[in-house]
Amino acid sequence: MTDQVLYDRGYRTYDGPRRGTSGARKAVFKDGVRRVLGLGRKARQKIFPWSLIVIAIIAAAVFIGIHWAIGNIEESLRQEIPTYGGLFDFYSGISLLFIALAGPQLLIPDRTKGVLSVYFSRPLTVDGYLVSKIGAFATVVGAIYVVPQVVLHLGLALIAEEGFLTYLGDNLDILWKVPVTTLAFIAVHGAVVFALSAVIDRTGIAAAAFLGILFAGAAVAGRVAEAGFAGSRYFALLAVDHHPRIVRDYFFGDTVAYAPEQAGFEVWVSVVAIVVLAVASALFVRYRYRRLA
Amino acid sequence: MTAILEVSDLTHDYGEVVALSGLSLEVPPGVTGLVGANGAGKTTLLRLMLGLLHPTSGALQVLGHDPQQEPLVVRSRIGYMPEGDCLPKDQTAADFVSYAAQLAGLPPREAKRRSSETLYLVGLEEERFRFLGDFSTGMQQRVKLAQAIVHDPDLLLLDEPASGLDPEGRTQMLDLIKRLSSFDINVIVSSHVLTDIEQTCDWVIMLDAGNLLRNGPLQGFEKLGTVLVEVLERPEEVAAAIRAGGVDVAVDGLRMVVGPGDETIEPMVMAAAAASRSGLVRMIRGSSSLEDLFLNREAAT
Repeated sequence: MTDQVLYDRGYRTYDGPRRGTSGARKAVFKDGVRRVLGLGRKARQKIFPWSLIVIAIIAAAVFIGIHWAIGNIEESLRQEIPTYGGLFDFYSGISLLFIALAGPQLLIPDRTKGVLSVYFSRPLTVDGYLVSKIGAFATVVGAIYVVPQVVLHLGLALIAEEGFLTYLGDNLDILWKVPVTTLAFIAVHGAVVFALSAVIDRTGIAAAAFLGILFAGAAVAGRVAEAGFAGSRYFALLAVDHHPRIVRDYFFGDTVAYAPEQAGFEVWVSVVAIVVLAVASALFVRYRYRRLA
Repeated sequence: MTAILEVSDLTHDYGEVVALSGLSLEVPPGVTGLVGANGAGKTTLLRLMLGLLHPTSGALQVLGHDPQQEPLVVRSRIGYMPEGDCLPKDQTAADFVSYAAQLAGLPPREAKRRSSETLYLVGLEEERFRFLGDFSTGMQQRVKLAQAIVHDPDLLLLDEPASGLDPEGRTQMLDLIKRLSSFDINVIVSSHVLTDIEQTCDWVIMLDAGNLLRNGPLQGFEKLGTVLVEVLERPEEVAAAIRAGGVDVAVDGLRMVVGPGDETIEPMVMAAAAASRSGLVRMIRGSSSLEDLFLNREAAT
């Protein structure tokens, strides 16, 4: 008996548009956003990121509620309630947990599961791949910082005595201070988590290392800086998590004196430290991935 | 007929380890087998074709483009199925293949459509919404093949496509590869399993420790076997005379394996024996399969 094919869909050739490198970069960016948010993944991968996002939004609403309630009792008391700067403090805690999860997820599985061999057999360069991943990271983490601030801003405008539009007009500086401060946080936290994720093969270990460096590193750097030996104050600069907080305080008012400030460094030193850290991390990750490609 | 691959005096080394040495060859369209033992240089050649490695010396052209100068142009026209694991376990087959299509530049909507069609082609239509971490080895190999062909490449590079498969899975994978050739997709299949190549390819490149052993059509390959020769005396002189005619000889005492080569070997051996004043004890045309030929070559080296 011979096989007789009644119907065979076969293989359809494709003559449509090909978006080349830019299409590949967009695909990596989109996949990165979906990955850190758990979209298209199993339910348990959605729980953590979405829980943090919901908490962030609720917190903004609570802040507005407190402002409204206190303002109804005594308008002057409102000055005592934290606003944008305080919200950054709260969100930096949430975002640290989010980044500890998202950063390793963006880089490590691609590398350990061999998916890089698929990426780099496509019209995609190492730089294109990394820029798209960084873009996805910055977009999602930036949204975690900025969206609640926008909610807070609009909420405060709504309950403002001077009126909605007047409040917005009087606080136009918020429109650049929030993004710049967000950028400072993303640059420092992103630099650390990307550098760690480029060399560690387990997402859990990378997350723990990230949190350890930020928390323990800042504490140790502060203590060493206070030791008093020649040049010890420069160790305060290794408290990397303090640099974006100093930038935030510069814009929104001081909360506490961080290690670099206690060691006598000005704000501009923290800005330079942030830039140096971000550039060094980018170069290191690029070097590492060029060797892997 | 334009060659899909042109290699000219190509050498690549990893420090002191020479992976490819002075390779020169041309490959016509069709299904080509790239065979050799582990470490023969097969994967290095594939990675050079993708522009992921830079040759130490020499040049190559893939589909008329230099992968060193235009890596992205070459890669946009190639589909690559790596030998090792390359699947994210937390994605569904449909999502990953669609993503692979978008990585090749296809618009998202078209990528999704082609993802479904391609997974149907490789026999995974029912399983396309399952997570890749739940797939068997055979199913994962099919997904790897699907991601390599989803964007309609002009050339498909398959690195050990049947690796890790049971006999049934191996047969199915080879059938799929044969089927691809019927859709006019040029394929280069790397494998160290010679029977796989014999079943699927019409052209073969044989590599041995970075050197080219053979590059030619598989059809009629049986005529290019080796000849076992035994002489009475002076085997080295006989061998030298044969080698002067451009044919490989491996000497073992009074015996030697001559070839591979066609039917011109036998008269050449007789002439060489006569010129060396040595008597011929016997002359048997031996190897007829690709595997025999390869084994003989290994014995000779």
